[in-house]
Amino acid sequence: MANISIRNVSKSYGALNVLRPFSLEIENGEFVVLVGPSGCGKSTMLKILAGLEPASEGQIIIGDREVTDLAPGDRDIAMVFQNYALYPHLTVRQNIGFGLKMRGTDKTEIDRRVDDAARILEVTPYLDRKPKDLSGGQRQRVALGRAIVRQPQAFLMDEPLSNLDAKLRVHMRAEIGALHKRIGVTTVYVTHDQVEAMTMADRVVIMQGGIIQQIAAPDELFNNPANLFVAGFIGSPGMNFLNADLRDGRLTAFGQQLTLPRATSHQGPVVVGLRPEHLTLGEGSVTFGVRPTLVESLGSEKYVYFGAEEARIADGEEGKSKGLIARVSHSGNLPRDQELRLGFDPGQLYLFDAKTGERL
Amino acid sequence: MRRTFVQSLALYATVVFTLAMILFPVYWLLVTALSTTDELYRLPPTFWPTDPQWDIFARVWAAKPILLWLWNSMLAAIGSVALSMLVSVSAGYALSRYSMRGGATMGMFVLTAKMLPATLLVIPLFSIFSSFGLIGSLWTLVLAHSTMIIPFATWMLKGYFDTIPKELEQAAMVDGCSPVGAMVRVVLPIATPGLAATALYAFVLSWSDYAYARTFLVNSPDNWTANLGITTMQGEYVTYWNDISAASVFIALPIIAIYLFLERYLVGGLTAGAEK
Ligand SMILES: Nc1ncnc2c1ncn2[C@@H]1O[C@H](COP(=O)(O)OP(=O)(O)OP(=O)(O)O)[C@@H](O)[C@H]1O
Ligand SMILES: [Mg+2]
Repeated sequence: MANISIRNVSKSYGALNVLRPFSLEIENGEFVVLVGPSGCGKSTMLKILAGLEPASEGQIIIGDREVTDLAPGDRDIAMVFQNYALYPHLTVRQNIGFGLKMRGTDKTEIDRRVDDAARILEVTPYLDRKPKDLSGGQRQRVALGRAIVRQPQAFLMDEPLSNLDAKLRVHMRAEIGALHKRIGVTTVYVTHDQVEAMTMADRVVIMQGGIIQQIAAPDELFNNPANLFVAGFIGSPGMNFLNADLRDGRLTAFGQQLTLPRATSHQGPVVVGLRPEHLTLGEGSVTFGVRPTLVESLGSEKYVYFGAEEARIADGEEGKSKGLIARVSHSGNLPRDQELRLGFDPGQLYLFDAKTGERL
Repeated sequence: MRRTFVQSLALYATVVFTLAMILFPVYWLLVTALSTTDELYRLPPTFWPTDPQWDIFARVWAAKPILLWLWNSMLAAIGSVALSMLVSVSAGYALSRYSMRGGATMGMFVLTAKMLPATLLVIPLFSIFSSFGLIGSLWTLVLAHSTMIIPFATWMLKGYFDTIPKELEQAAMVDGCSPVGAMVRVVLPIATPGLAATALYAFVLSWSDYAYARTFLVNSPDNWTANLGITTMQGEYVTYWNDISAASVFIALPIIAIYLFLERYLVGGLTAGAEK
């Protein structure tokens, strides 16, 4: 077990910058999740940590050793791949024991440790099978077994659950969490699923376009997003955004003049963010009437979709956007064509600079 | 899905027809070997000899150094397979895994060698081999056959390596293998069907060569290969086709044996289970 220190690491393929200079200190035993949309450089970061890709610049320290120029096998890390990458010609036992065998561990010791790992991951009955005779979830466990058996300094996991069906994914998510609690190895986990990030992480690193947007604990990310991207990425359904003009601490939204409780000196165009769950039916210090375009029922909760003149549609989302959403507690029937009153507290609004996207 | 009677009929008819097309030459070879000389020239031809000459095989075996010829063919083929596999496994792997400047062009360039007809290469190869004093030696065949085999074998293997996910080697490297170790311990075992198919292709190509053997070895009867040996059985005035056919049966047998040996490796689907 060890801490990992990433110092000013960057990566470019020729003229293409995939990772801007990047620094991150990961504590011993911490579970850090890298999350972001497809192509933002998550896998690249993980491969640099593993030594499968060289960094263009910067240093990587694992424990007290600088590993920047070491081969993957010399870094004492284990990696779980998105597609598992089990050795198809070897049995489960040989798959799990492969790394130990490569390091010259003696036969009885390998057997003992493989048996231990198999017991933890409940794959003992399959030890003599080939990977092709296993189900998706069992393959996933074998891939994890191959990682834990070596007792490495750190685990690197690249979207290990993305090939599983929804139910198994939730189950394995809990299992990986429990496994981490039990063996406490420093883990860097990559996903593009914000729910996975929020539920598993000690700290989340949100990336977009090769740039770190924010590093924080899950609750902190949710409550204090650093910018528009983070605010829109975290939370489901996503935050509502409105375009507005801020003048002397006042702005116009939903056809009303609002006075912000917090003082801000910013003047000019802003983006106002409001979480769907902060909208309530009929109450609140500010209320407004809407005619819903769609009401989705989840039983005791309803998602009310409605339009607003100021609604801000993200680039590339024109047309497919359903407008704004309110997530309200209501177990009765909400007819679609009937006008509703929604309310909110101006203290729960988020304000972002319209040009830079930074939180105000 | 159940087949209707008409569909089954069509299926079996196709199978029988294809098999007949493929097996007819083999059958005719056997008929020719077993017929007496008179019967061979009879019209209309007989489809099974009235008096099969089973002793022809023993006679031909005794009269000609068939074993020596087969041995030479075998040496040339094994040498060519070994050399060309060594080169094309490395080259195909490199083309599949490493992107280098001009790599794609180089890959295509390898194939241009395959586009030249063998007859065009015979003369330059002859002058190269004679300046090294190799004419008459089986090494000429090993080298010449390899020049035929390597371009296509490289591409066959590259294609096969492309189907193997590179995460497997990455996993092996994280597990402590060197890049070469990952190739030897993980990629090659998985690529067995591709390796077997390529080796079979190489073996058959070398085994069936006549032009190179004739050019480089004609004056060294001790090094004659089977194909070259057989053609010397063709007389200037009389040719005993039944003898030649009997010798040809001997020559075909090793190929069949090699195929039966490699068959078990030719199954596909060895990467099954690596992913998902
Ligand atoms: N070998 C390469 N050469 C050039 N560009 C590359 C190479 N590998 C990756 N990239 C680019 O780097 C960027 C980041 O890729 P990366 O695989 O890290 O994305 P990711 O965040 O893991 O995405 P995903 O969620 O889809 O797996 C992408 O734009 C990709 O096209
Ligand atoms: Mg990725």
